[in-house]
Amino acid sequence: MSNAMTETTLAGAPEAARAPLSARFAALWAAAGVRCAVPVVVLLAAGFLAPLIAIFAYSFAPPRSFDVFRAFSLANYAELFSPDNTVWLSFAWSIGFALVTCALLAVISYPIAYGMVFLFGRWSSLVSVLFVFPLFVSENVRLYGWVLFFIKNGVLDGSLKWLGLGGAPEVLYTPGAILAGMVYTYLPFMLFPLTLGLSMVPRDLIDAARDLGANRFQIWREVEVPLAMPGILIGMLLTFVLAIGAVSEAKILGGQSVIVISHDIEIAFTYAQNWPLGSALAVLVTAFIGALTLAVFARLDLDRLLGRR
Amino acid sequence: MTMNRRSVLKGMAAGGLALAASPFAGARSAFAAREKDLNILCWEGYNSAQVLDPFRKAHGATVKAESLTNDPTMINRLRAGETNVWDLINVNNPWARKVMYPEKLIRPLPRETFEPYFDKMLPQFKPPYKWAMDDSGTELLGMCQRFGPYSFVVNTKKIDRKTAEDVGWDLFNDPKLAGRYGILESDDWNVFGLFVVAGIDPFKKHTPDEMAKFEETAKRVFKGAKLIGDIAAMNQALISGEIDLHLTGGTYSVSPARADGYPEMRGITPLRGPMAGGKGGIAWIEVTSLVNNPQLSPLAETFLKYVQQPEVAHTVAFAEGTYNPVTQMGNPDCFKLFTKTELEAIQWDSLEEDMARCVEYDIVPDYDQALDIMTAAKRVRG
Amino acid sequence: MTDIKDKKPILQLVGVRKTFNDFAAVEKIDLDIFEGEFFTIVGPSGSGKTTMLRMLAGMEAPSEGNITLHGERINDVPANKRPTCLVFQSLALFPHMSVGQNIEFPLKIKGVDAATRKARALELMAIVRLPASYYGKNVMKCSGGERQRVALARALAYDPEVLFFDEPLSAIDYKLKKILEKELKDLHRETGKTFIYITHSLEEAMVMSDRIGVMRAGRLIQVGTPEEIYAAPVDRFVSEFVGEVNVIELKREGEGWRGVNLPGAFRAAPPKDAPQADSTFVVVRPEFMRFLNDGEEADNTLEGVVYNEYSLGSRIQYQVRVGDKVMLVELSRSNALPAAANRNVRLGWDVRDAISVKA
Repeated sequence: MSNAMTETTLAGAPEAARAPLSARFAALWAAAGVRCAVPVVVLLAAGFLAPLIAIFAYSFAPPRSFDVFRAFSLANYAELFSPDNTVWLSFAWSIGFALVTCALLAVISYPIAYGMVFLFGRWSSLVSVLFVFPLFVSENVRLYGWVLFFIKNGVLDGSLKWLGLGGAPEVLYTPGAILAGMVYTYLPFMLFPLTLGLSMVPRDLIDAARDLGANRFQIWREVEVPLAMPGILIGMLLTFVLAIGAVSEAKILGGQSVIVISHDIEIAFTYAQNWPLGSALAVLVTAFIGALTLAVFARLDLDRLLGRR
Repeated sequence: MTMNRRSVLKGMAAGGLALAASPFAGARSAFAAREKDLNILCWEGYNSAQVLDPFRKAHGATVKAESLTNDPTMINRLRAGETNVWDLINVNNPWARKVMYPEKLIRPLPRETFEPYFDKMLPQFKPPYKWAMDDSGTELLGMCQRFGPYSFVVNTKKIDRKTAEDVGWDLFNDPKLAGRYGILESDDWNVFGLFVVAGIDPFKKHTPDEMAKFEETAKRVFKGAKLIGDIAAMNQALISGEIDLHLTGGTYSVSPARADGYPEMRGITPLRGPMAGGKGGIAWIEVTSLVNNPQLSPLAETFLKYVQQPEVAHTVAFAEGTYNPVTQMGNPDCFKLFTKTELEAIQWDSLEEDMARCVEYDIVPDYDQALDIMTAAKRVRG
Repeated sequence: MTDIKDKKPILQLVGVRKTFNDFAAVEKIDLDIFEGEFFTIVGPSGSGKTTMLRMLAGMEAPSEGNITLHGERINDVPANKRPTCLVFQSLALFPHMSVGQNIEFPLKIKGVDAATRKARALELMAIVRLPASYYGKNVMKCSGGERQRVALARALAYDPEVLFFDEPLSAIDYKLKKILEKELKDLHRETGKTFIYITHSLEEAMVMSDRIGVMRAGRLIQVGTPEEIYAAPVDRFVSEFVGEVNVIELKREGEGWRGVNLPGAFRAAPPKDAPQADSTFVVVRPEFMRFLNDGEEADNTLEGVVYNEYSLGSRIQYQVRVGDKVMLVELSRSNALPAAANRNVRLGWDVRDAISVKA
């Protein structure tokens, strides 16, 4: 099979190379599928690529100017990388929060996902609805809800006082509150890929592993985790990428006790009116996330993990 | 004209460039007739349905209003090429005469039509009103409506009004109050506030020593803050008792809490401070101007007249979100529309004396540097 | 196999019953399985054989009754604590592991070091006739037959006392299946382990087993050697399950029997499970049915017309229309009936070659 494939490619390539570019383009254009795809391609280019290009171009404009495409400067990057700039702190906080959120979510979601796939039976759809439902309410509204819950004389504190148990501990406006908010917000984004990943583990394999002497932990380590790995990795990547861009949790639950990287970008684009600097920051974040995504997908051999080859 | 692929491609390229030039899809409306279109860039309130719907109905107009919560962003939108999108821009006092008119981002109003409205306003807005005029004093650049003192907010049950006014900004230098105050996240105002807390007049060029003092103050004040957040977060924290006071605030931010039955929350204007004339407070006055739009909508002027009507002015004062005094309260026809509770919410009782203790919002010459210092100070608080 | 009766029972089922909600998948089963025997449970799908196997393997607990291993009750011993191993119908090979890693899995679980594991894996690969070069091969790239061998080697690596097989050959083409059946039988002899095999194909069971248990609707209706099952099926279900047979329904008439839908009187033994019954099914295997030459006699005879003949390799099957019934006759190729098509024939069988079962 693979031999046959190589031969076709080898035979096909020179022929394609011989055809003039215009003819090949015309042939491509003649394909109905290509013509039908044009609106989508245009839309993608306008809606997805254009903003990215604009941000990229802005990051090379002189600081605090709007001379995009007209002047070139590395001053923004120089400023971000200068030793006395403290923006790395925001980066560190964002990456730290994202890593811890990811790790906590993996630990929290795994048992839930396991239950949904193997234990809950017909209740599992109800459980998924329960986890999906909050997504219909705006994130900020939900976070303000938590503020009302934890705030002094709020739901928790007030109830405890009413019960004569003293007040609730002060958790609001701390990094811990931010982390809790992020874990809460991004749970579905870890849970569902994980559920999908676990549902790809055939029940037989778990039975077989147990039958061959494996205990619960060994089954988990040797069979479940490797086979659910595509789901685990996708869930982790998704939550990591979302969490690194998170800003509402730090603002609302954290009372800005911590400035995260998205907040820095926001300040650059608003109060500071330093679009080039904000763009340079955005480019750095995008590059970081892009590199991470590529690294993960390079390791993630979906076909092999799914047993297709 | 023959239509061939080349001409279509040229057209597409031009369209693409137009799209790239203006992030907002205003290019289309610029080419259309604008009789029934009106686009407003403003602080929140003017974009509310209460204000816009009667106007839409009366003129059969399509009115689009976008609200932003800081001046520099709005002005930079015009600088970035959106002058052909917007018809009206509503920002605080200094920008029209000091920045937008010199940069030709706005155009003057016909004086004979609009100056008479100033006659009916509160006494301090009598024509020619400084912030509505250009530097030469010949051109009328905009109309005034909402205004207010804006220094800091205190829960008078915890710190009484007299003490707060007397101690003034030094409250934030008091180590005993660390952890008891919040900071509203309007960073431009925080730059002013922190300068004043440092005992420095914000509205001038600063020496390196002053900047160092500013940095020290910024780090200390941010470190001592219980939380930083938006207006809702501040009021919530005040009411719940998480904080006793918060930096940069006034009628604009505290009026929703006062209207909700918490009159002990109060915008404070200190008796004295480092600003010109020893004044201790800062006030803002909104100026709404005609954008220098090549296809300016004729409805722009109509709208400016519309909001001067007593009923509409009252609606603007109590539009959703925040409640503010309006200049039209100088007109008895307008003033009588305000109930006792509404006057209470906007601190009418002390408005005149508070305003007398204030300098007016101005541009900080070295704002960029100060903001960078402040952002860095925020970052290291965690 | 030597005489089964001399062997000690290894697995015993006493009154074992398994219900799911109200449905009884397995009803009151009593069964002894002897050490070292190849025991096959055969039955159509839904007969409860898989449930029974899962109970034996420790993946389901019985609702009632006891399962003992060497006399010890193991009802609640989980699968990973039983010295038994199951080869799944799906084979349940780990797709993320190589052939070698699959085989070594139970050894790795036991904590055996890598070198010993590899040596044992290669040994086992030789036993199941897998080339050593397959050690590092991706298991999903193996053919169906190779996967069977990997699954078998993996089970053997666990070194179980009892090996279970859940229809492992059901998805294999006929020719390969024949080869694997033989190999499995050889393996059984070589290892001396107890094999418990499940299939819906009695043919498979007949080839490999020392004893067969036939299941139907959750009950074990007959247990015996392949010869016993073949020669003396306990009822019409078993007899039809064993293969294509002639079933003739008879009604009692005085001392003798009369055919239902067949003309004439017949001689037959009384049904063995209900000697006093008024009617009976007589089961005659096609190879016991014979064509009669002129003047040749048998205990029972019928007249009909050959309308079809099939080659079964070394044997030929004839389909003979008798009235509106079809009778089957099988002859060895050397005794083939010349010019069979549309030929009028006389069929006959003797009472000793027929089995009477309850109607």
